Amino acid sequence: MTSPAGPGTLVGARTALLLAEAITPAVAAAARQAIADAGWQRYAFIDRGSYEFVDAPPIPGLLTAMVALASQQTGRALQLQSARALRLRAGDYILAHHDAFHEGMPIELALDLSAEPIANAGVYYRRRGQVFFVVPSQPGAVALVERGPAVNCSHAYVSKRWPTADVQRLVLLLR
Amino acid sequence: MNWLQHRIWADQHALQQTWRAATPFPHLIIDDLLSDHDLATLVEILDEEPVEFATTDIYAFDATAVVPATSAFAALREQFGASLAPTLSLLTSTTVQRADMRAYAYRPGHYLLPHTDYQPEQQRVLAYAYYLPTPDAPDGGELELYACALDSTSSNDALGPARLVQRIEPRPNRCVIFEVRPDSLHQVNEVLSGLRLSLAGWFYP
Repeated sequence: MTSPAGPGTLVGARTALLLAEAITPAVAAAARQAIADAGWQRYAFIDRGSYEFVDAPPIPGLLTAMVALASQQTGRALQLQSARALRLRAGDYILAHHDAFHEGMPIELALDLSAEPIANAGVYYRRRGQVFFVVPSQPGAVALVERGPAVNCSHAYVSKRWPTADVQRLVLLLR
Repeated sequence: MNWLQHRIWADQHALQQTWRAATPFPHLIIDDLLSDHDLATLVEILDEEPVEFATTDIYAFDATAVVPATSAFAALREQFGASLAPTLSLLTSTTVQRADMRAYAYRPGHYLLPHTDYQPEQQRVLAYAYYLPTPDAPDGGELELYACALDSTSSNDALGPARLVQRIEPRPNRCVIFEVRPDSLHQVNEVLSGLRLSLAGWFYP
């Protein structure tokens, strides 16, 4: 794993930042393989989302490294509460009302494991319904967002104009 | 503008049967809704109505404002609702009195993801879409209707797994009307190329 090239891109407040090149393409490829070996499951409730997922993905080294990175960046002693890998292909999406609100002020970490960037396939964080932070499709980048009870997020629709699109993200909830 | 010129409106009994038998939820598909003359007039009115890009997590499209910008479009909206409401009330056995209306332009990459339109506080009874001719017919843009069950374990009208039942092409001069209810799950497929133009909205009590 590489270190962030700089302090990252601070957007709006300390609660939302994007670190480019947090992992190398080789680390991402290894993670994708390990997650695929665990077996993707499809989420079937299309009024909320259309995507595949793996809960508790078997990538302990990467999880530990991400928790350490998040702790370093936020100055908080964070513990892993949950981990989920997400996969969105052409025509997939996750709507905001599918996302749970969280009590307290946990940190959500979203690591882009994709091999290629996909146009407009970002993650949108909303506070009381208003978008305050957009995480672009950027392989290797990691986003850290303080959630809080009024914050939720959506994963944008992936256009069918990119039929081979394969967006993969590791999403951690840290407290 | 005569919204009831089509002979199909004359046989209310047949329409009622079609409405009730339609799956996955009551709906009607009426082709050639307007005469050629009225369609040309309608297109002229729409040419003057500005559209703006609108997007959330569930949609991306160009649309006119909620309140019409031109008096001609406002009048068109009022006349559409007033003309069709009595007939639709008889057809659906539910009283509706007025309709709203916006024009939508779906360009490549635009979509409307699955949703029901059901919001009790809004009092939407019927939804409609009327498709207009475009210089470049769309690839995509079909209206898809899904069958699904309400999730009885949920307290907020969550839906169970869905099954695609109807895929309706956005043919010019076609009107689709369907019942709004907690399980009227539908979507507009992404437009991959071309342009999809429509008028759409809801009928209210």
